Amino acid sequence: MRLQNKINIRFLMVTLLVFTVAGVILYFTLGNVIDHNIRGILKSRKTNVILYLQHNKTDSILFGSPDRTIFIRQIAKIVDQSIVSDTMAYDVREMELIPFRKMVFTTTVANVCYEVTILQSLLESEDLQVIIFYFMTILFILIILALFFLNRWLSNKAWKPFFKSSALLKSWKIGENKQVHFDVTGISEFDQLNKTLEEMIEKMQADFINLREFTENASHEIQTPLAIIKSKVEMLLNDQTLSSKQHLQLHEVFETAIRLSRMNEALLLLSKIENKQFAEKSDISFNSLIESRLAYLEELIDLKKIKLSIDLSVPFIVSIHPMLADILLSNLLSNALRHNCSHGKIIITSGNNEIFFSNTGDPLTIDPLKIFKRFVKQSTSEASNGLGLAIAEEICKLNALSLDYTYQNHLHCFVLSKKFKN
Amino acid sequence: MKILVVEDEKMLSDVIVSYLKGEGYLTEQAGTLDLGTQKVNLYQYDCVLADIGLPDGNGFKLVAEIKKCHPGTGIIIISAKNSLEDKILGLDLGADDYLTKPFHLSELNSRIKSVLRRRKFEGQKELVAGKLRILPENRQVYVQDELISTTKKEFDLLLFFISNQGRVLTKESIAEHLWGDFADSSDTFNYVYSHIKNLRRKILEKSGVEYFRNVYGTGYVFEIGNIR
Repeated sequence: MRLQNKINIRFLMVTLLVFTVAGVILYFTLGNVIDHNIRGILKSRKTNVILYLQHNKTDSILFGSPDRTIFIRQIAKIVDQSIVSDTMAYDVREMELIPFRKMVFTTTVANVCYEVTILQSLLESEDLQVIIFYFMTILFILIILALFFLNRWLSNKAWKPFFKSSALLKSWKIGENKQVHFDVTGISEFDQLNKTLEEMIEKMQADFINLREFTENASHEIQTPLAIIKSKVEMLLNDQTLSSKQHLQLHEVFETAIRLSRMNEALLLLSKIENKQFAEKSDISFNSLIESRLAYLEELIDLKKIKLSIDLSVPFIVSIHPMLADILLSNLLSNALRHNCSHGKIIITSGNNEIFFSNTGDPLTIDPLKIFKRFVKQSTSEASNGLGLAIAEEICKLNALSLDYTYQNHLHCFVLSKKFKN
Repeated sequence: MKILVVEDEKMLSDVIVSYLKGEGYLTEQAGTLDLGTQKVNLYQYDCVLADIGLPDGNGFKLVAEIKKCHPGTGIIIISAKNSLEDKILGLDLGADDYLTKPFHLSELNSRIKSVLRRRKFEGQKELVAGKLRILPENRQVYVQDELISTTKKEFDLLLFFISNQGRVLTKESIAEHLWGDFADSSDTFNYVYSHIKNLRRKILEKSGVEYFRNVYGTGYVFEIGNIR
């Protein structure tokens, strides 16, 4: 829900409440005023009737007024009391039953007792209720309309800087190292927000770059100590005086150091790719690169008795850094080889703007969606560091390629395809 | 054979030097670009191992300097940076090889030998080990003057072993020597095993001598000492 709408709803609710209360108060207040008024009218008419009786001493005194609102008749005995009550009566002009206020009193003029009934129409007071209701309703609708237009105007105009900032933020990505600049809006709240955002973005960018540099430097610095460990252990492995048990343990140290250095190398490569250190691109034919990589792997493929079927007739040319192309294909090919079974198959086919790498192998035990995540690996195999596919994906991301995984007909299939910008 | 090790990390330099001494080389050390430059200007070395990231400058300068005063010296760059650009730059400047840290000492040793063979003996030299005679240029192996057929990998493997005679070669370093970056699969150890098995058989058939010794769980040693 938009903020403006939220505010409007509250506002309307309060307005409705206020209008209702005000309407009720107005109704009763006006009612009282009218009541008071009618009482005054009745009083003055009473005086008029008495005066009239005093001045017209005729027998024809018993009559009703032509508008049938005053009735006078002679009575025997005076009741010293006037009665005021509400009643319904037929109105000639309105031609319907309408409410009246009736006043009945007795008076003595020249020793004759009269009873006078005065009727006063209450139609006005009933109309009042209706008028108040309509008035309030119309006012309420007007307020809603006003709010609606105000809202539109506010959204378009007053909130403009806000939407502009929000669009800027949406387009901003960390790591792109793009400067974000917000315009001065002249509205202190927005300017304050923009200033804070600008500072925050600057800080985030600096932190991000620092962190990336740190990762790269750390991986880099680790290589030399690892070289020392490996070399020292390699020297020790040649020591004839060691027992075979010590020898084995030493070899484990050696193995672990190698694993560590491989992992470190892969991480270093990842951070280099992320740091865009492979920006120079040239057109590389993946077809010939795959063929040369496969020639290199020929023996490994033969030894595992894997059947290779390749159809690279459709050319697939990508603008990419040569080393990245090499790493990408090496990773995909060694992945197809590593997770293959003995006497399995590797099928590589090129199509229009895509290359398929399929291989036999046990189904995944991990979530296929996580296959490109770092350190996610199928086996507990020590040989795999779980970074190969992460690197492959990262390379694709930076070179307008997409890499997708499917498992169909007992084949793991990686599809490398070109992304087109519309 | 004189080798200069230019490496700022003292411990790494020391371990390389002690390994190379074991191989019978004369070695010298330099920890800075300045000292390295001085040394290559003063003396002639057969091979220089040059680190790229030196505290007082870039090792590429050293490569250029060596090329200037002693063009015949073999140069192997040892760098912590595995970058294609650096590799190309180094080789363009005249380095013979480029090795990325962390490397296996046996690999370094084999590279040094290969460089020395090419540099000092114009690749003509034949290697003799026991009853084996190897012509590295022609990629031929003779056992008691009889040519045996070897696959490319088997030849590389034999050369690697002969370059590191009497040393324990771990499965990992063999795999890395043969397959480089693809060596990270545990399958490769089976391949190492099967290559060695074939090589052993071929040599044993012709010579009747077992040169390879299995070091349990670790790797293999090529020895000719125990048959003398």
